[in-house]
Amino acid sequence: MPFRPPIAKALSALFGGSEVRDRADRLQYPDAGHGFDQFGMHPDFVALGDTIGKGLYDNYFRVKSYGYENIPTDGAAVIACNHSGTIPVDGMMLWVDILRHTNPPRAARPIADYFVSTLPIVSTLFARCGVVGGSKGNARALLDAGQLLMIFPEGTPGIGKPFSERYMLQDWRKGHCELAIRHKAPVVPVGIVGAEEQMPQLARIPMPRGSALPYIPVPATLVPLPVRYHIHYGQPLRFDLEYSSEEADDPAIVTEAAARVKAAVQALLDRGLEMREGIFK
Amino acid sequence: MISVLVTGASTPVGERLVRSLVADTRVRHVVAVGEEPEGQALPFSHGTRLTYVNVDLTRPRRVHELLFGLARELEVEGVVHLAQHRDAYGRGRGVHRANVEALRSILDLADRHPTIRRVVLKSYGEVYRVSIDLPVLVTEDHPLNLAPGAPQYVRDRVEADLTACARMGLIDCEIVVLRCAEALGPGTGSQLYDYLSTRLCLRPAGFDPMINVATPGDLVVAMERATHGSGEGVFNIPGFDTLPLSETIRKWGTRSAPVPGLLLEPMYNVRHAVTGSRFSYGLNRHRMHTGLVLDGTRAREVLSYTPANPVNWPVDGPVRIGVDT
Repeated sequence: MPFRPPIAKALSALFGGSEVRDRADRLQYPDAGHGFDQFGMHPDFVALGDTIGKGLYDNYFRVKSYGYENIPTDGAAVIACNHSGTIPVDGMMLWVDILRHTNPPRAARPIADYFVSTLPIVSTLFARCGVVGGSKGNARALLDAGQLLMIFPEGTPGIGKPFSERYMLQDWRKGHCELAIRHKAPVVPVGIVGAEEQMPQLARIPMPRGSALPYIPVPATLVPLPVRYHIHYGQPLRFDLEYSSEEADDPAIVTEAAARVKAAVQALLDRGLEMREGIFK
Repeated sequence: MISVLVTGASTPVGERLVRSLVADTRVRHVVAVGEEPEGQALPFSHGTRLTYVNVDLTRPRRVHELLFGLARELEVEGVVHLAQHRDAYGRGRGVHRANVEALRSILDLADRHPTIRRVVLKSYGEVYRVSIDLPVLVTEDHPLNLAPGAPQYVRDRVEADLTACARMGLIDCEIVVLRCAEALGPGTGSQLYDYLSTRLCLRPAGFDPMINVATPGDLVVAMERATHGSGEGVFNIPGFDTLPLSETIRKWGTRSAPVPGLLLEPMYNVRHAVTGSRFSYGLNRHRMHTGLVLDGTRAREVLSYTPANPVNWPVDGPVRIGVDT
């Protein structure tokens, strides 16, 4: 990183205030000995991420959160959420929301697409805030360590979905359910309303295979619109009680579980859209 | 009580292992095999329980004479094979013989040896492939670096590792492969040590991967546990310290400068040509961008090994509060 944890700490204390610092101080994470966990997360950078997110969360997107009591306060769990918005601000807002609404604070571990690891500075800053590369081994290790995984089963295609397909969930990956069943972790469905309208795409320019980015989006606006975010947490789906770990190898069970998660997220989106009074309200 | 033969005994880790085995009351006799002439190796006093021999392990005849001569006489039951060429720029058939063929000879002979029951190979974390689509926390089933363009330093280590793994269960001798984290210290062959032993460390701009480093003391503990244990298998042997590259440099007391990744290889090649630095950026390119931390769960469960000795960092001193890795 261009700067060390003490600078991140000073910046978060200066711009984030005591509330942010308090959350960082109470953060529970597996310190590997030098203040960092094995994947590179550090509480002072979590505080910095919290500080950066604060302005967006409180003032720009004015996030409203519903059902956050469904977030497990400890132990392994999987947060499965819709993904959208051309640039993945929805992930950041959800990460901040979870940090604020858990006690003691939990830094969710977002699972990022591989290309994120190839981006200079961004990859390191993300890693310091808890983001990990999307390999099964990483997810397995985090669940074994009782961490809270944040997964967007739509993946990058979700971010790039056309405006006409907003709030229509894309191809829904199943890996999160396999992991949840194998590691006996509940799945918390989450629907984010608002992000899907923040930055409508006019087009996208595909990049050659092997490029750091899968495509370059051509959005209708230069910056995200100040839509209001509504984050809806659903009841945890307790696959851990329904299935044995061995059943994670059964494709039919995993497919059915993933379909249930998708339906739960879609239901939260539908309810959230009904509740919403307007894009900016 | 067992007798143990240690190859690579004149390396820093080998020397510590020999010292520790000599002090171990469960060990009857230690045969230390090294490159240095007798009298120049193992600068510590030892009694009759240690025999140092200078043997060229690249010559199968000499290995045969060692194992079926002195080792049989002393009823050696355990062999700890540490001898590997340590220079990242080492090339050619001679280096390959030292890295791979010597092990092959030992395993061939151990199969029909009347007393040897266990061979422990010190392998390396470098055998693992590093890639953005692979986990940062590496378990023993992680893909190995079989890239055709990999330097001989890596290819030989992977070949030696696989040679040992391929014999497990097939020969009349238990085989244990310990894939060890780098031991930070002079003469250990650690590329990270070579990297840090300069006035200015050049690091890839925008990247700061997590690394795990061990101390020779911890590696010795792991090798002792493997020597006295039963059963066979492959084990990751992590060190105590897990931290980002930038912190490693800072704690080592070296200055660093970020450089675009594309320029690093030519710059380090020039540095090697001009100063003779043994650090090879080509060998470490992926590790300088993507983290690799050995998962020691299996070693903890089977060998009861947990790293306990932190690096005594020149700047901050050792860290004592960490959890096991």
